[in-house]
Amino acid sequence: MSDLICVGAISGAFGVKGEVRLKSFTAEPTGIADYGPLVTEDGKQSFDVTLIRPVKSGFAAKLSGVLTKEEADALRGTRLFAPRDRLPSLPDDEYYHADLIGMMVYDTGGAELGRVKAVLNHGAADLLEIQAPGQSDTVLLPFTLAAVPTVDLASGRIVADPPDGLF
Amino acid sequence: MTRSVWKGPFVDAYVLKKAEASRESGRNEVIKIWSRRSTILPQFVGLTFGVYNGRKHIPVNVSEDMIGQKFGEYSPTRTYYGHAADKKAKRK
Repeated sequence: MSDLICVGAISGAFGVKGEVRLKSFTAEPTGIADYGPLVTEDGKQSFDVTLIRPVKSGFAAKLSGVLTKEEADALRGTRLFAPRDRLPSLPDDEYYHADLIGMMVYDTGGAELGRVKAVLNHGAADLLEIQAPGQSDTVLLPFTLAAVPTVDLASGRIVADPPDGLF
Repeated sequence: MTRSVWKGPFVDAYVLKKAEASRESGRNEVIKIWSRRSTILPQFVGLTFGVYNGRKHIPVNVSEDMIGQKFGEYSPTRTYYGHAADKKAKRK
């Protein structure tokens, strides 16, 4: 589990008054402003974010400390991160994708099945994409109580009881 | 143009056969199917199908609100990961 979570990126300046074009990666796009102040990947810069209005592929936004178009242009390509502890806590059986990604998956006998590479949802149940050790192909495991009886965030372990024919 | 009601929903016969066999056996298994065009019927609710997307079988847990849709709708043929950010997954 990483301490910083990427919630957006600056794709360039917007206009000539020091606004930036901001891409939001959050589930609710306007939610990016709630996680402020956001920091850069190296943690050297920190910005308070004020969304001005939606524009094509993102938002026009004002960042604290960015006053001119040149300063906004210099931030092009910068990814913005929020600390993990700023995300609100969730009810039982609900997890952030960011927490699940990277967890080790074991079967009920304790044998290692792989590591969670991504969490997908194609309209049915959520799916854990599991990268098995030494294999290039991934396996999709339904994220259900039957198939995934235990998720231990503290130890980074998931216990899975996959249906026959998956692994 | 919509399908005539008198014909009933279309389902490939082998999908029905496999689903019935799986339900009778009571085993917890993924039913591998290649028929993306088949309609999801009420008797499929609770079963897990592996719907082929041209590369691999995507597990699809059938629930009540999926009845009447086609299997292919739940098995995309292109991969897009996006960003995790604050997205949530719920264990059902």
